[in-house]
Amino acid sequence: CSDILEEQPRSIYTPEYFKTEKGVLGGLTALYAHTRNFYGSGYYLAGVQSGTDESTWGQNVNNDAKNADFSGVGNLSSQNNPYAGIWGVFPNINTASGIIENAEAVGTISDALVAEARFFRAFDYFLLVQTFGGVPLDLGAGALKFNTSTVRTSVRNTVPEVYTQAIFPDLIKAVADLPNENTRATGTVNKTVARLYLSQAYLTYAWWLQNPNNVPTYPATPRTDPDGHDANWYFQQAYNIAVDGIDMRPSSIGLLDYFYDVNEGSNDRNKEMLLYADHTEGSDLYNGAPVTGWGSGSSPGNFAGWLATWNYTEIRSSATAGGSYNISSVGREATQPHGRPWTGFTPTHQTIKNTFADKINDSRYDGTFTTVYRGNWLRGTSTVTTLYNANNLPVQMEDPMLTFIDTDNPAVVYPSGAGSSGVGAGVLPGRADWIVTPTGISRLMYPGLWKLGPYRTDNGNTLGQANVTYTRPFPIAKFSELYFIAAEAAVKGATPQSGKSARELINVIRARAGKWYYDNNGKAAKVQDNSADMVAATPASITIDYILDERTREYYGEGKRWYDLARTQTWHIRSASYTICGTSKGDHTPVTVNRTIPLTAYLRPIPQSQFDRMEGTDADIAAYQNPGYN
Amino acid sequence: TVISSDGPIPGANVILKGTKNGAATNFDGEFTLNNVPSNGVLVISFLGYKTKEVSVNNQKTINISLDLDTAALDEVVVIGYGTQRKESVTGSVASIKGEALLEVPSPNISQSLQGRVSGVEFAQSSTKPGASMQIRVRGTRSLNASNDPLIVLDGIPFAGSITDLNPTDIKSVDILKDASATAIYGSRGANGVILVTTNKGSKGQEAKINYTSYFGVKNIFAKYPMMNGEEFTKLRTEANIYQTPGLDEEVGVNTDWQDLLFGTATVTSHDIGISGGGEKSNYNFGLGYYKDESVLPGQDYERISLRASIDQEIGDHLKVGFTTNNSYAVNNGNSLGIYGTLNSTPIANPYNADGSLKRVVQMPLDTQWVYTRASIEALGDSYIDQTKNFGSYNSIYGVLQIPGIEGLSYRLNLGLNYRQSNGGYYQGEGVFSDNPTTKSSASISNSQTTSWTIENILSYDRTFAEKHSFNALALYSSEENSYNRSRVTATDIPADSFQFYNLGRANDQPIVDPSQQWYTVSGLQSVMGRLMYSYDNRYMLSASYRTDGSSRLAPGHKWVSYPAISVGWNIHNESFMENISLINSLKIRAGYGTTSNQSIDPYSTLGRLGTTPYNFGDTYTTGFSVSELPNPNLGWEKSTTMNYGLDFSMLNNRLSGTVDYYATKTTDLLFRVGLPQTSGVSSYMANIGESENKGLEFALNGVLIDNPDGFTWEAGLNVYTNRNKLTKLASGLDRDESNWWFVGQPIDVIYDYKAVGLWNQDDPQYQYLNTFEPGGNEGMVKVEYTGDYNSDGSPVRAIGPADRQIMSMQADFQGGFNTRLAYKGIDFSIVGAFKSGGLLIATPYGANGYLNILTGRRGNIDVDYWTPDNTDAKFPKPGGIGGDQPKYLNSLSYFDASYVKIRTITLGYNFDQSKWFKNTGIDRLRLYVTAQNPFVFFSPYKKQSGMDPETNSFANENSAVTFGQNDQRKRLLTIGTNTPTTTNYVIGLNITF
Repeated sequence: CSDILEEQPRSIYTPEYFKTEKGVLGGLTALYAHTRNFYGSGYYLAGVQSGTDESTWGQNVNNDAKNADFSGVGNLSSQNNPYAGIWGVFPNINTASGIIENAEAVGTISDALVAEARFFRAFDYFLLVQTFGGVPLDLGAGALKFNTSTVRTSVRNTVPEVYTQAIFPDLIKAVADLPNENTRATGTVNKTVARLYLSQAYLTYAWWLQNPNNVPTYPATPRTDPDGHDANWYFQQAYNIAVDGIDMRPSSIGLLDYFYDVNEGSNDRNKEMLLYADHTEGSDLYNGAPVTGWGSGSSPGNFAGWLATWNYTEIRSSATAGGSYNISSVGREATQPHGRPWTGFTPTHQTIKNTFADKINDSRYDGTFTTVYRGNWLRGTSTVTTLYNANNLPVQMEDPMLTFIDTDNPAVVYPSGAGSSGVGAGVLPGRADWIVTPTGISRLMYPGLWKLGPYRTDNGNTLGQANVTYTRPFPIAKFSELYFIAAEAAVKGATPQSGKSARELINVIRARAGKWYYDNNGKAAKVQDNSADMVAATPASITIDYILDERTREYYGEGKRWYDLARTQTWHIRSASYTICGTSKGDHTPVTVNRTIPLTAYLRPIPQSQFDRMEGTDADIAAYQNPGYN
Repeated sequence: TVISSDGPIPGANVILKGTKNGAATNFDGEFTLNNVPSNGVLVISFLGYKTKEVSVNNQKTINISLDLDTAALDEVVVIGYGTQRKESVTGSVASIKGEALLEVPSPNISQSLQGRVSGVEFAQSSTKPGASMQIRVRGTRSLNASNDPLIVLDGIPFAGSITDLNPTDIKSVDILKDASATAIYGSRGANGVILVTTNKGSKGQEAKINYTSYFGVKNIFAKYPMMNGEEFTKLRTEANIYQTPGLDEEVGVNTDWQDLLFGTATVTSHDIGISGGGEKSNYNFGLGYYKDESVLPGQDYERISLRASIDQEIGDHLKVGFTTNNSYAVNNGNSLGIYGTLNSTPIANPYNADGSLKRVVQMPLDTQWVYTRASIEALGDSYIDQTKNFGSYNSIYGVLQIPGIEGLSYRLNLGLNYRQSNGGYYQGEGVFSDNPTTKSSASISNSQTTSWTIENILSYDRTFAEKHSFNALALYSSEENSYNRSRVTATDIPADSFQFYNLGRANDQPIVDPSQQWYTVSGLQSVMGRLMYSYDNRYMLSASYRTDGSSRLAPGHKWVSYPAISVGWNIHNESFMENISLINSLKIRAGYGTTSNQSIDPYSTLGRLGTTPYNFGDTYTTGFSVSELPNPNLGWEKSTTMNYGLDFSMLNNRLSGTVDYYATKTTDLLFRVGLPQTSGVSSYMANIGESENKGLEFALNGVLIDNPDGFTWEAGLNVYTNRNKLTKLASGLDRDESNWWFVGQPIDVIYDYKAVGLWNQDDPQYQYLNTFEPGGNEGMVKVEYTGDYNSDGSPVRAIGPADRQIMSMQADFQGGFNTRLAYKGIDFSIVGAFKSGGLLIATPYGANGYLNILTGRRGNIDVDYWTPDNTDAKFPKPGGIGGDQPKYLNSLSYFDASYVKIRTITLGYNFDQSKWFKNTGIDRLRLYVTAQNPFVFFSPYKKQSGMDPETNSFANENSAVTFGQNDQRKRLLTIGTNTPTTTNYVIGLNITF
């Protein structure tokens, strides 16, 4: 009976399966799934938002946000490293290489499917090169080869090698082979998203070649292109491909009519969303995190929105006129204006006041932030129908309990400390809602990030599952970015096509932003077309700074900002100072904080786990890390 | 007359050989036997003495002197595949009798053995009812493989859970510690072997009924030292973060949540056994019932066990027998934790104005379900967490004395084991949730283990020329283990009454998570030979060789061999020792052997695809990626042990002891080599590490006062120390920081910052606080800085990862003691255990427990924290750097692990001493009272917390932030928020008739 010495697994897959057709398809699924490891991670989002001109750290001291703020409240190191998830994409690069190689061996896999693997290999390398500089192309089996050897050494390639050997060839092939429309499954990649990434990669590389502010690269290498082109050539390529992306799109892809609809939960996976890390409320297993109960803040769950949410649940009202303010009128709710509050990062005063200066014509302030917190107590445990709020005025369900008003108003009276509102908010005579002025926005209390708030279909008449990770897809790439890429390339000297100058492209975005059908925070229909006003307000000459401002208005809080600033080498300039009030309730004194961002910070620290496992001399290992981190 | 060295023997059996003609001796040892032929042979036997044959030779009066049968007098040691007289043992074997085990009333033998055997550490890994302990024989040696010893029940490798065995059924436990003893278990011997032998009847014994029972009450040893309302309010004021009380909080309220949860629990045990035997047979039946409640409501463990053993001789040459051990156990409420209770703030009021209990209390940031005895008891059908285990462990044997060759026999052992575990969980809508409409959820999990073993053993046992004793053994065996587990979860069960009994009723599609469905089958084939030789009871030699073939290894590498040899010298049997009457026995031993650890999980050599579930919109699919590379060269870890031992007894056997020194080297250590992310593969398994264990073990037993009519005082002490060290990791790697493994350090260490105090303004380094700690604050934890300084005394860099330090968790020494005082029928005994040195991780004091947040956000453990008026506190300033996880707070959660613990104090009375009692027909009656866990001394942790210093959780359990399932640090034992340790008062009864 020597049979008993033979093995037949029946509940696990062995690597042999990866060489079958179904195994290869499964490999593709793993590539999509890995985006959840950082797109949706709150720590990553806090670490990549904080320190930019958009945001700074919030009161419920999140170390990732503080460390990334460069304002003397922490420091980034190989250990305190919210970007470690990005460094973790190498196994997915390897899976992509495995798919490319195994598909050939299997023989029945279409080029279109292989192109998905190429897209993600380039996608991952592009993330790596922007975050860390040059990274290895050879994982142990040769450049861009599927590695199954147990190599513990690593050699970093240079930035131009990564672009010209990996990112560009893969994306060019992906553009060629991917389908025009994604019919394979919801959310799979297509030609348009490949064009978006290719044009963005060209643009980023062009800036790198040009290096206007002398930002160092690592490993050190001359700013010359191995393929013999110059920055201008790449700016032009970026422009051309982006415009292709706009012009050659199928009808199932495009801009939505209204900005509000882009991020509205019931409208998720819309034609403007080119790529997202998907989630579902239907299954704990496939969602990657529980869909009910108490979620833990860890990947692959989508908890990014938690960090952008202040603790609005401390807002207090009274059950009786003149009674004590001890009723929580805005409970934790699984709806887009609410969500779970972790108070991790906050918009700066400059973002609220300057970047989103136009809150009337431009629908994007209203479609980005929660500025009105409305009563929801009857969906909680309370049964009192009328509460008394600011100025002892009666309020009903769905009435505003606290409002971040659009402009400063000297009539607002703030309490010292928490006050009756429980959160240190002010009052305006005659108004039943507690008031916070733009200048009164603090690290404790700030407009929530409505865009990334939760959306579920199972709330019924309750507050819903407010403590689990969000079951919405997290946005990665939007069709609208093609306009910005082309515009930026044009500003940098690319020759525009007719009707697609930088200003014209930006105006497409701005005109759309001027269109309203619904007042999000006002919770009322608002059919208005302010497109003409928006376009009229566009400066005649578009600058990089203007494009960057416009990008904040379009993409605030989505984690894109640092990459935009790093690409344009404007991070240390544009983010050098910001203004915000403190962390205590009732603190409405704006403080201007200066940041010192060294040029070495343009490359993030490689996580410690790489060094813990790497073989080599101490000097080799030390030289592997980016300069400025030890 | 039949006599012994102690005088006449009444009741001895005298029989004329080959006949049924026999008699028993009277009170004076005399007997009369008629019809005895002059050339007849008398066979004289008596329990505890060696049977003697005497030729009559025409004598009318025969005086016969029987020798004590030392083998019968507790001197037989069970070794692998047989027994051996203790005097002849050359390996390191520790034995403990069933009666000694019962001195500590416990649900299973792991608890009763704690502190009783030197070199064997029993560490508590859970305090829940029915939990067993972590057993380590001579320390840990493996990184990725199991460090658990092999358990062998009645000769058959045990495929179940030690909790299935009723301690009352156990006759003895013998622990093979060194490789010369364990090598005959080859590929499974590296972590030691625990041989458990269950009770059997005796031949020719009248039926005896034995009933034992005890009942005890349990109360918590100590509460978790949480702040009361006033202390908490002060903390919140100091932290100044949560200025607005939560909706259910009010300054002045003082709720002791623990009082609302913990209660008095009971423990009950009943066992009844019948044993006896005929001329050619014996039998033993037992039925046991055990129930252990927890101080938490609805958490308990209940077990019914049933056993039987029968041995029957058939004819002169054949003997067959059968043993079955069965148990059925039910565990309830194991998922109940106490974190929800502890984290509720003391100023939160759990009651509504009308006196009813609230469903939740709202604190400033958190809404907590109200965890009290009343709220849990009120759940009714809306909560159940139940696991039912059924185990049946059976062995059947036949022995054939081969006619014609004296001493040669063939034995066939057949082992058949079956274990089934069925778990079900249900929590109704909103139960334990802050949200009353959180969907109900349920899960079922079922697992089944089956194993069979066939052993063919040929043995030859004979003494030549009275001096040359041979025992030779040859074995051929096969065994197969299979395990299958499935688990299904579902949400939105429409009615509480369904609980987990029909997941098909769930409104949501039930989930079958593929990572929770397991199937493994593994087989082992073995050939083994052993020779034990002894010359004149003076020189002993034992040599064994085993070859194992395993399914777990890749083709071409399946067969591995294990040699072992050991020698012993009974010095006291030498003629030159004859005149030294002080010493009764003296033996030195030395052994060498190789064993390994069946440490590779089945299918490990094949590599693995990791799976990632993902949704494309509403389409659910599963992704694959290579998570583990195949390694066809993977082999087993090998441990080679040298063992030197000394056994002695002296002063009329009143003082006896054992000393052992060992050195074990484990090579080819299975190591999951973490590859740098840039390799694209997370890890691979390889045999590359090395570790060593060296240790000294010392056991001493003495009869200090021995007066059969008056006082008797016995005492035992065992002390042992083990020095564990990793000597090699993967090439070029002398540290694996993510797993906390470092070459030259023990396997179990803490790698973290070392707290040296708090930052205070009067500290000369305070001026550089912001360089040491960017963003740091006065009153934060100060940790040791190991970097350089500039000439002005400022540090060249901030405190960072380079300042983490390796701190060994290894105890200096540990052991146990027991003492017994007896006067007539009264006895008084104490059993204790101790440990000196080492580190203890107490997560409630650290950052990961979330019970010492020091912001006033949640309930806080009562600590001495920094305030401007209290700058020499131990714990940092409330609300300082780090937020919910105050920076470096974990460095303050490491305590000196030393303690001395009195585990039981027992006072008993034996009625059988009095004459009148003998007329009742009861042979033996004993009543006793026992206090369990009454005292702990010399424990720095108890001094800080008042709590039990024994661990109660693995590091991936019972704290808010744990080491993950894939993190090897989960192996570390910690004190977390598990069910509290209890002090028990037990009253018991043993009766035999």
